[in-house]
Amino acid sequence: MRTRKRSGWRRYINLVTVGVTLVLIAVLLPLYWLVSSSFKGPAGIFSANFFPKALTLNNYSQALNGTANPFGRYILNSVIVALSTTALVLFLATLAGYALGRLPMRGKLPILMALLMISVFPAIAVIAPLFLLMRSINWLNSYQALIVPYTAFNLPFAIWIMRNYMLGIPKEMEETARIDGAGPMRTVFSIIVPQVKPGLFTAGIFCFSACWTEFLMAISFNSETNYRTIPVGIANFGAQYVTPFGIIFAAATMASVPIAILVLVFRRSVVSGLTAGAVKG
Amino acid sequence: MATIELDQIEKVYPNGFHAVHGIDLEVKEGELMVLVGPSGCGKTTVLRMIAGLEDISAGQLRIGDRVVNELGPKERDIAMVFQNYALYPHMTVGENIGFALKLRRLPKEEIERKVQDAARILGLTQWLDRKPGQLSGGQRQRVAMGRAIVREPSVFLMDEPLSNLDAKLRVQMRAEVSHIQRQVGVATVYVTHDQIEAMTMGDRVAVMRSGYLQQCDNPQVLYDAPDNVFVAAFIGSPAMNLFEAGVSTGNGTPSLALGSQTVPLPDRVLDTHRGLRAYDGKQIIVGIRPEHLPAADGDAEAPLVGEIDLIEALGNELQVHFTIDAKRVLAEGPSEEDELSSSGAGVARVGPHVPARVGERMTFDLKVDGLHFFDADTGLAIRH
Amino acid sequence: MAEVSAHPSTGVPTATPPVIVGRSDVYRRRMARLGWMFTAPALFFIGAVTLFPIGFAVLLSFENVNVTGAGFQLNGLTTANYSLVLGNSEWHYALVFTIGFTVVTVLVELILGTMIALLLERLTKARGMMMAILLIPWSLVTVISAQLWYYIYNPTYGVLDSILSFLGLGNPVILGSNASAIMAMMAADIWKTTPFVAIIVLAGLVMLSTDIYEAAEVDGATGWETFWKITFPLLRPTIGLAVLFRVLQAFGLFDLPYVLTQGGPGYATTSLAILAEKAMFNDNQFGPGVAVATTTALLVVLGCFAFLKVFRAQVGEEV
Ligand SMILES: Nc1ncnc2c1ncn2[C@@H]1O[C@H](COP(=O)(O)OP(=O)(O)O)[C@@H](O)[C@H]1O
Ligand SMILES: [Mg+2]
Repeated sequence: MRTRKRSGWRRYINLVTVGVTLVLIAVLLPLYWLVSSSFKGPAGIFSANFFPKALTLNNYSQALNGTANPFGRYILNSVIVALSTTALVLFLATLAGYALGRLPMRGKLPILMALLMISVFPAIAVIAPLFLLMRSINWLNSYQALIVPYTAFNLPFAIWIMRNYMLGIPKEMEETARIDGAGPMRTVFSIIVPQVKPGLFTAGIFCFSACWTEFLMAISFNSETNYRTIPVGIANFGAQYVTPFGIIFAAATMASVPIAILVLVFRRSVVSGLTAGAVKG
Repeated sequence: MATIELDQIEKVYPNGFHAVHGIDLEVKEGELMVLVGPSGCGKTTVLRMIAGLEDISAGQLRIGDRVVNELGPKERDIAMVFQNYALYPHMTVGENIGFALKLRRLPKEEIERKVQDAARILGLTQWLDRKPGQLSGGQRQRVAMGRAIVREPSVFLMDEPLSNLDAKLRVQMRAEVSHIQRQVGVATVYVTHDQIEAMTMGDRVAVMRSGYLQQCDNPQVLYDAPDNVFVAAFIGSPAMNLFEAGVSTGNGTPSLALGSQTVPLPDRVLDTHRGLRAYDGKQIIVGIRPEHLPAADGDAEAPLVGEIDLIEALGNELQVHFTIDAKRVLAEGPSEEDELSSSGAGVARVGPHVPARVGERMTFDLKVDGLHFFDADTGLAIRH
Repeated sequence: MAEVSAHPSTGVPTATPPVIVGRSDVYRRRMARLGWMFTAPALFFIGAVTLFPIGFAVLLSFENVNVTGAGFQLNGLTTANYSLVLGNSEWHYALVFTIGFTVVTVLVELILGTMIALLLERLTKARGMMMAILLIPWSLVTVISAQLWYYIYNPTYGVLDSILSFLGLGNPVILGSNASAIMAMMAADIWKTTPFVAIIVLAGLVMLSTDIYEAAEVDGATGWETFWKITFPLLRPTIGLAVLFRVLQAFGLFDLPYVLTQGGPGYATTSLAILAEKAMFNDNQFGPGVAVATTTALLVVLGCFAFLKVFRAQVGEEV
């Protein structure tokens, strides 16, 4: 048998590259369709052309300036809700994760197990009672109507992540700080927190993207135009006779690009979060 | 500056484990006291009790003239260097050293000045803006020292501060640490499991075993006059040879039966170890330092013959491992390494050019004045 | 030559040792108290938004709820909600549909995801970039991906329609018939979440030590054998947890049918969550709606327990 090195471009053709190319096409083609359609005029939208004939930014200006669907407002709402929730979750999860990871409390394990159980609970189960409660305290259509439940639903995972990162710090850190004369708050925030920054990134990006994409609670609690978040806004674009796909995709592109960039920049944090529970260590 | 006094200190951990038993110890002003003992004997526990990181179960601890049992670490005016240094990885070297001062709300310029002074003493000036992660092991060790001395505490505590360094650096840092300690002149408790480190650095050395203090004295006394078998075996490298031996001081020339061989005990030895006479006809433990077994040339006062198992040539001497037919006594040694190399029965240090070959028999000139005698039951030294 | 063992005593003869009780550790207790102070705010939030409403939901599901414009009335305990739900054919269908959708999509995603992971593991330099690309569908808002597929599936100007007619496969209204609507929805779900599975499995693969493979190769195992006998068993905990995440997510299926089909045609794609939401907010059937939601949650929790029982050997010890 004779093996010969294939020369030129042909040596790059093998099962792996073919497979990878197929995966790339499968993932990217629909995305391409989404983005390219956002630049199509009405004529282009209603015909399935792979390369748009005429590009326009019309859809973008209509999405941002629409009165029935003020998409700029939706983006603002999403940003407010997602940022407030993330800040709150990180603060609370840092304290709780520190306590559950490093302080000599009893009953840590039951709490951690309970957190795991709660984090698998489907949101649909609490929609009805929360709706009634919020209605009776006039919280429907407000930022806190989303910030509070989002915080609760994102806390268990964030606490687990923070706890796991906290466990990795040697106990001498606190002892040195204690000898140096630092109180507990000081120790947590100037000694421990700076050392778990990767954990904060991971927990933060998961919380932010969960808030950015959540739909069920958003549509149940904040259905009024002024408090809609991006998913509600995009789902409701189609309420009229004709679905304005061009505008929807312009809005969708604007909603997706920031989160995609965020995820790509912090992709190591994301992957470590995705595998946090799944892989040992 | 202050003294440290431990008075019948006990430690029982919450899980019921009794880790430290009635320790009495006094560290004088400016003294470097080394706590040494095998791993798990309670050294760290004692140190952490002095630091206030661990509660004292019973007994009294005084620093200076205060009883500090109930004080937190912050109020005890101590500084501690940990084995893993516990440097704050997100702060620069300068910030690490200055952190305690910052917590005391000292003015910025004063912190700056003190950090600079400490850095100069430790040769860290050019590294002040680096993060600990960018430093070598030795430099990190120095930063940990700097963090301790900058606070001008009345007590220094160090828990195996050199054991994370490689062997060569460790030797160098030994000298450096004792130099710095002498310079700042603060009562220091230094924990190590390495008896060479203890001997070379300590003004005095306290040997611990299983939570009990065995002996505390200056290194030469520990070497020359160990109080019991454990200290005898623990201090010194290669370790002291310990054999069972029969004493006979009654009729005839006083002698020691080492297996089938007989070692004469001259009167001067019996005079310095008067207690031996009470052991006539009994078994004791005899200890022989390897340097008290040179090669015999002609007329030895107390010749001892052994069969050579192994010869280690060190250049300036030969370490000859030999076997005799006496029962060997194993007191748990300082390290496994020494246990392994003493797989024969005894070690002798002889001149570099002595002709010796493995498998042959060799006659040693046992120096009877250097013999140590211990009670076979209690392990205590037999002296007066 | 025999050896005499060491003297265990310290050489210090002691009188009966004093009984020493470990002094209660004041600092420890203070730190434990601090721990509860640090944990309390988070637990309060979680309790207020999950535990308390869950209790309330169970109560509601046994109540004759009457939601009015201004508030709601509870008109007495009843099991009518449950009997209404359990005997309802729409609920039966939604339950079967949700379970079927979950099983099929998770299975396909698992197989495809594992294949993709095995493929990407062969890459060296491009692996990081491929992982990044796989993260984009994961980060996409589900509602957006639903709108995208809605557009692709459109019967008059959708690109899929053009492709099908180009291939001479006629002009089917994809979302118009039961079977094709269900398959279309599954495809949309599989497109969005297979990358998630692939990334988890890939991360697990990368962590497996290479000597295992070398040892297997030395032992003469074929590629196929190596996968089934070595790679797969080692990956089982990883895959198990990926499956758990996915099943939980798929079981709460809501966003996709809400945009893509509104549960139709008929109620062909009505999931449990869609059914509950419709009952509560559209059909003014609050009590039955809550009963659907509660039974769904119960099923999820029971399923989780069953899953953890099966996988305890791998999963339990990690906690
Ligand atoms: N927190 C603790 N709880 C119970 N036992 C402990 C604790 N810390 C240490 N010990 C035990 O106390 C003994 C002495 O430990 P330590 O002081 O760390 O020894 P050393 O520093 O001499 O190696 C060991 O047997 C160890 O297992
Ligand atoms: Mg120790």
